[in-house]
Amino acid sequence: MIGWGSRTDRNREFEDVALVHLDTLYRTALRLTHNRADAEDLVQEACLRAFRSFHRFIPGTNCRAWLLTIVRNTFLNRIRDEGRQVLAGRAAGADPALGPAAESAATPENPEEELLQTVLHGDVDRALKALPLPFREAVVLADLEGLTYREVAEVLSCPIGTVMSRLSRGRRLLREALGRFAREHGYAKES
Amino acid sequence: MDCREFAAHLHPYVDGELGVDAAAAAEAHAASCPGCGRLADAERRFRQLLQRQPRESAPPELRSRILARCRQDERRPLRRMAVAIPAVAVAGALALAVLLPRGGEAPTLVGDLVGKHIAYAQLERPAEFASADYREVERWFHQQAGLRMTVPDYSTAGIRLVGARIAETDQQRAAYVLYEKGHVLLSIFMVPASQRAGGVGGQRVSYRGSEYVTAEVRGHRTVSWIEGQAAFSLVSALDYPALLECADRLRLERLERRA
Repeated sequence: MIGWGSRTDRNREFEDVALVHLDTLYRTALRLTHNRADAEDLVQEACLRAFRSFHRFIPGTNCRAWLLTIVRNTFLNRIRDEGRQVLAGRAAGADPALGPAAESAATPENPEEELLQTVLHGDVDRALKALPLPFREAVVLADLEGLTYREVAEVLSCPIGTVMSRLSRGRRLLREALGRFAREHGYAKES
Repeated sequence: MDCREFAAHLHPYVDGELGVDAAAAAEAHAASCPGCGRLADAERRFRQLLQRQPRESAPPELRSRILARCRQDERRPLRRMAVAIPAVAVAGALALAVLLPRGGEAPTLVGDLVGKHIAYAQLERPAEFASADYREVERWFHQQAGLRMTVPDYSTAGIRLVGARIAETDQQRAAYVLYEKGHVLLSIFMVPASQRAGGVGGQRVSYRGSEYVTAEVRGHRTVSWIEGQAAFSLVSALDYPALLECADRLRLERLERRA
């Protein structure tokens, strides 16, 4: 017969093995959604999914990467369900042509974006927010959360070569945006 | 290593992701070439700037909410019984009674479905409609055959949606959804009003408060149940715990959408 394991043990184990990564999951969700309420909601849903699939998690393997994969998939499902096809299209993997799209994303004009600006402070936040999803998720995971290339590749379900190209492009875009902001504020002169 | 090669290795070098030899070569080049040395320093400083960003913690209530939600989830079968429409529950129970083995009969429904699973797997394109979009596949079933099929997302378990097909069985059109975990296929069939549900034989299993019939047919595991008039069957080489979990998700999602 099939052994299902004890439920209480499963609860405790989930708390010990998975929920120690809660801060990472939350910060990553925040970078994906740009909004605390949505981030909490996303993490909660992702954790519940993880809990339901927990019997398939192999102890000793990378739990953080596994959980981040679930957070990301849950996020992608959500934007797909919300019919935000532009975002979903970008998230699907094909690195979009940058330039005009990145420019317009960097200067949000709708009130929602303005409101979000007040939720998160700082130029790095602003620049990250403007970064198209495929680059943003690579930079957030590698540079802000300190994942290795291999882990990032696992979370994004893509080859390591793709992680490397997204990282180098994402970092370049981020630096360019930060440079623009600095010039706007008058911190830096035209270089 | 020359400047060109160094530029190509710059990011993995700064990230400490180069192998020992390549890292040593990059190190030597950066030390001897002021331009590339500055480039590496600038990358490092930028990396530090990102790492210095304030690291927000998850709100304490989030943790307790998640734990509470998980505990609630464990009691799901009870909650589900309350949600289920009583008439459907009764119909399900009656239908299940006739699901029990009846001894050697003509080809059973599940035997027929396993045959289809095997036959489709040999096709170059097992799915008539290839799509990884759950809602799109559901819409396709509805448009093609008026079938209200639920197509759950199993991606967290590494099970990928491949597509769908309309299967002919019992002189009617049945929904067939194809998933894949690695190279292992998982087929889900919904036969809207099966004439042969009574011919489903196997072992009765209860999982998370729901009843299923499991059987091994031609080397494949099957998990089946009746919902109203419709028979559902999962066919795969995956193990029973995985199949039952998939079945449970499907049933729960159908209940939640109906509610």
